[in-house]
Amino acid sequence: MSASQQADPGVSVLVVDDEPQIRRVVRNALDGIASRVLEASSAREGLDLAASVQPSLVILDLTLPDLDGLEVCRDLRAFSSVPLIVLSARHSDQDKAALLDAGADDYVTKPFSTLELQARVRAQLRRASRSEAANEKLVAGGLEIDVARRIVRRDGVEVHLTPTEWGLLRAFVANRGRTLTHRQLFNAVWGRAEGDAQQYLRVYVGQLRRKLEADPVRPKLIRTDPAVGYRFDPDP
Amino acid sequence: MSDPDRRRIGRWLTWWLVLAAVTMALLPLRTRLDKAHVALVFLLVVLGGSSAGGRLLGITLAGAAFALFDVVFVRPYFTFRVADPFDWLVLVTFLVTGIVAAQLLERQRHEAEVARQRAAEIDRLATLGAETLNAPRPADALQGIAEVIRQAMQVDRCEIELGDASAPDPGRPGDQTLPARERRVALDIRGERVGTLVLASARPFLLSRDQERVLGALSYYAALGVERIRLAGAQEEAESLRRADRLKDALIASVSHDLRTPLTTIKGIADEIARGGDHTRAYVIEDEADHLSALVGDLLDLSQLAAGQMPVTTALNTADDAIGAALQRVEGAMQGHEVSVKLDADWPMLVGRFDLAHTTRILANLLENAAKYAPAGTPIVVRAWRDDRWLFFGVEDAGAGIAAEERDQAFAPFVRGTQARRGTRGTGLGLAIARQLATVQGGRLDYEPDATAQSRFVLRLPAATASAASESL
Repeated sequence: MSASQQADPGVSVLVVDDEPQIRRVVRNALDGIASRVLEASSAREGLDLAASVQPSLVILDLTLPDLDGLEVCRDLRAFSSVPLIVLSARHSDQDKAALLDAGADDYVTKPFSTLELQARVRAQLRRASRSEAANEKLVAGGLEIDVARRIVRRDGVEVHLTPTEWGLLRAFVANRGRTLTHRQLFNAVWGRAEGDAQQYLRVYVGQLRRKLEADPVRPKLIRTDPAVGYRFDPDP
Repeated sequence: MSDPDRRRIGRWLTWWLVLAAVTMALLPLRTRLDKAHVALVFLLVVLGGSSAGGRLLGITLAGAAFALFDVVFVRPYFTFRVADPFDWLVLVTFLVTGIVAAQLLERQRHEAEVARQRAAEIDRLATLGAETLNAPRPADALQGIAEVIRQAMQVDRCEIELGDASAPDPGRPGDQTLPARERRVALDIRGERVGTLVLASARPFLLSRDQERVLGALSYYAALGVERIRLAGAQEEAESLRRADRLKDALIASVSHDLRTPLTTIKGIADEIARGGDHTRAYVIEDEADHLSALVGDLLDLSQLAAGQMPVTTALNTADDAIGAALQRVEGAMQGHEVSVKLDADWPMLVGRFDLAHTTRILANLLENAAKYAPAGTPIVVRAWRDDRWLFFGVEDAGAGIAAEERDQAFAPFVRGTQARRGTRGTGLGLAIARQLATVQGGRLDYEPDATAQSRFVLRLPAATASAASESL
């Protein structure tokens, strides 16, 4: 743990958890990352603070006494696009996917290590700082992606992608660093249309990986979050 | 005109013609015939008519024959008058004999009909008895019983509803007095309501007294069928309770050791640090807490699996993805073992229908085991291949594998092999959970050593085709 690291002066983090012990652990973990840590012990207090203070990031415990965690996610998303990390003791995968669908950007399962939480927080802050860059050219590890011109090169050689593979890659690039649930990927690639093609989503991801990854069973770009979805992380 | 009507009219015509023909045949001979001859021949016609066409035909034939006898065969001919008063005796005796014979025949036929119906009822009951006892599944038996009742009562629909002793009493066989579209009958076993029999037809119906009587017997079988379902349910419940009980015993024995050991360590080290001891010892606390956390997770999963409540989301998935996610998960736990992946190159993409999270967990568990038990630095191989039905995953290591006498037990909860007892550490639940996770996805996990790999686990999951994914370029 590098406690000596200087916190970014503009970064404020809101921690919503009814357990004082957990708030303390999270506050300590944020030492060196955030210059200001705000605490709330209930969902309502947390939502009020998020609206009035407009923090750079929110860490939300899923089980709060006054409101269901999923509802809090939706309520928060109604007025804010702040990066949102959820803490959860339930480790059902369905719950995780539902959380991401409801607007959470990432989740951490209790018990978690300080290092893990710090990594997630940094990744979300980094993502938020370059969110306007959806149409940029992306260069990472021998891969060159030009979304606007629909060109992908691997080690300088152009890679041919099918329309579906392009749709997937565009969704991944636009949401880099963030886990996309299967449903979010369906919606991004096929719209809301119901169709046969959707059930092949994971097969298409497999094909895309075989075209982009150096070793498709040890993917470095498109990571699998089993039962939840996929995360495109060219610079983890 | 309906068929039975037409047949009845045919029979009447036939016997009237027979009577006319017999009269015509006897007419030329009447001077040489004795009255007894005529009486006997006519009696024969009356008997024949009443046995073929019933009582009414018999009696009318007797009346007509009486008139013909009088008019045609008794002097003076062609009048109703009778010359010899003794001839009246003959005529009246003939009439009475004819009528009595018709009556007797009718009664006998009725009795035969009743006997036939009884036989049919007994057949039905025998069928029902066989249905109730023989159908392999109690629910099937109940369906069979309902069908037999529907046929016997000649209604459109017959259903047997289970349970609900608190519902208002719908009545018993024999209760109904007015036609209705639906009829409900209580099903009782030893005076206790176990269900309701519902008869329904498109048109209002009223059962005959005989049908009501049969309904009494049939509804008893229906009640037995319901009881059988209840007993089968109770037996299943008892079996799952027994299983849960065995697991609980194993759990208590294990928990006392596996939970208390790390807790003791944590307590001891926390105490040391609090007294100003070596702070780096806190890492041991973290390790122990991780181990406890893994154990708690495994116990929760195992209890969910044992209760049949583990959620399963099967979808089209690739072997690439499952192996990739498993490798990612065990990163850092491979203790210097090189893992090589060998995918069947005959297939552009190995696709199956399975739960990715569960499969990742199974493969990660097999990989961790391999890393733990194989000699340091030896390679571990993960293979995937398929046939028409199954997608196979093999995890091989260079270790000694599982001793033959321990193979049966290897997948039971809380069992650790003799190898495992030497220093390595796990929850003892990994393989038990892995095998059950394979089963809930419709697959299997087995220990299958072969000529090239002494230690090899094979996971098989339902294979699938992904032809629709080969999108045109």
